[in-house]
Amino acid sequence: MENRLKEEAGKLLKEGKVDYIVGYGKGTVNLRTSPLITNKEEDLEGLVINPFIANNLSRYPVELKGRVGIVVKGCDSRSLTSLMQDKKVKREDLIIFGIPCEGVVDLKKLAGQIGAEIDRVTDAEKEGENLTLQVDGSKKTIPFRDVIFDKCYGCEHPTPLEYDVLLGSEVTPNLDIEKSLEKIKALDDMDTPERWDYWKEQFSKCIRCYGCRNVCPACFCERCFVDVNMPQWVATYATWQDNLTFQLIRTLHVAGRCSDCGECERACPVGIPLRSLQRKMVEEVKDLFGHEVGIDKDAPPVFSHYEATDPDEFMK
Amino acid sequence: MGYKKIKKDQLKTLFNELSKDCSLFVPSGSKGYVGFDPWDGNSADFTEWYGNTTIPPKALFFPPVEAMLRFRKGEAGYEIEELLPNGRPQIVFGVRPCDARALKITDILFSDTYRDPYYLKRRENATIVGLACNEPCDTCFCTSLDISPGESQDVDLLCTDIGDELLMEAVSDKGEDLLSKMSGLSDASGEEESKAKQLGESAKEKITRQIDTSGLLDKMRSSFENREYWEDVSRKCMSCGICTYVCPTCHCFDICDENNKKDGKRVRNWDSCKFPLFTRMPMENPRHEKWRRIRQRYHHKFEYFQMNFEAIACTGCGRCIRECPVNVDVTEIIGGIQAL
Repeated sequence: MENRLKEEAGKLLKEGKVDYIVGYGKGTVNLRTSPLITNKEEDLEGLVINPFIANNLSRYPVELKGRVGIVVKGCDSRSLTSLMQDKKVKREDLIIFGIPCEGVVDLKKLAGQIGAEIDRVTDAEKEGENLTLQVDGSKKTIPFRDVIFDKCYGCEHPTPLEYDVLLGSEVTPNLDIEKSLEKIKALDDMDTPERWDYWKEQFSKCIRCYGCRNVCPACFCERCFVDVNMPQWVATYATWQDNLTFQLIRTLHVAGRCSDCGECERACPVGIPLRSLQRKMVEEVKDLFGHEVGIDKDAPPVFSHYEATDPDEFMK
Repeated sequence: MGYKKIKKDQLKTLFNELSKDCSLFVPSGSKGYVGFDPWDGNSADFTEWYGNTTIPPKALFFPPVEAMLRFRKGEAGYEIEELLPNGRPQIVFGVRPCDARALKITDILFSDTYRDPYYLKRRENATIVGLACNEPCDTCFCTSLDISPGESQDVDLLCTDIGDELLMEAVSDKGEDLLSKMSGLSDASGEEESKAKQLGESAKEKITRQIDTSGLLDKMRSSFENREYWEDVSRKCMSCGICTYVCPTCHCFDICDENNKKDGKRVRNWDSCKFPLFTRMPMENPRHEKWRRIRQRYHHKFEYFQMNFEAIACTGCGRCIRECPVNVDVTEIIGGIQAL
């Protein structure tokens, strides 16, 4: 897969069909990968495809000027399609390399599983159903599906829906919806005051670094409402009330655009379980509007048009 | 006073005692990330799992949010009430050598021409108990910045984990004073002292990540106009504030007034040069493009701070590398500048 990607990406740059290639390169921290964005053919040798390609890269073409060759997993491709629906990127400006994805390793889970910091793991490879690791110099094998992100258990489209080149053969969904929604279910089961206290505690940690917003492909406002200061909607400084307000409004803004890529939660340095909010909203949008994000690039975005059949219970 | 030691299973008793007369902060992971939290009487086992905190100890002295003053509209104009820290003594236990150095670096800034009473009052009231690193993280590069994982002159008291016990050595008068107040200590042997030194040496060898600071000031200066370089290295940056907020030396802040009809408060909060809106409130952000903002961050740390205060504002703690969602790596960026 990697070689084919390097070859095809190289051709695109050489023939001037794209201005940039956006893919994954080896990270500088054990096991991690890092976005590789380049207009130089010689950099393409660094492209990698492995079970650690966590980033959703679909945000980059919005920012980059010109035509882009981009690597996407299933969830990322749906973000990209959603951006097309919102006219943030044009399909004709993209050459999409699709990666059929069996799940991406959650490094926090992995650390928990091996009972050691990720720093101690020097090598990891997926072999069939297992992940083989080198921990402190000795070999360790763990089931791959024990350490993938929660979102991956609920992934109905592991093979990108929109692509020009598919790298590898299609992957059939391997669903465990219950596991994917475990944390959300636990929140649903709480009574309201308990749930309120939970989120109050979580948002007391927020330092307003805006990591969640800035990695989110659905957060594409030129000026986010929290950055508007005449008038000021929320305080610039972190208080749990305003942190929560910020995140709830963000959740509503990305409703119908969020593909459950989970980048918000992965980025959060203080460990706020943000996916629990976002994924809940994905469910709501599906229940109320029958809308699934990023399926049809020619369909209008769910919240920028009206259907006579749209639910209006709240107005009664 | 020579080296002392305490059994690790006695730490809980020690902490309970110390926290009677002062605010004691220790590394804790109870909130879902590692930070310095007030001692809660529960678990003192951080020596077993703790690499470093996500949020640096700077947050205890320069908090993310603090009210500076309160104002009220009275008969004869505005009444102003300054809200200084309460002056209660603090002990911060388990500060890593890189973070202790970082506090010395921010001390320079906050005690310059403008002496910041909020920061300085907390610093004066605090005793820093260091904890040497036996197992540095993969992201550490403190040795490139003249810091040793196993020793520190920047703390008041330094602990080294020698197995079942913590070895303690007073570094300052404050440390000496604290050590004399601690109960449950015994004298350490010469052997134990040399064991601590060995652990420090072997920790040093474990650190492989590095930056080259020789001639860096000139290199930084000449890199300033190299737009292509800065555009290349900043392309993947998401313009969030994580690197600046987890940085132990980043110190930029914003001040805003929260106004009700008759009263209000003035609040200071962390701000980040990575945000497009940085400095927009007083006038304008001169750094519209992302690459200019990235350039600013590294130039501030490795050039301007050095020009102003003869110190590099980086201690190689590696938090920015570890926490960045897209793996922007300061050692790569500085390496790239050295190679230009």
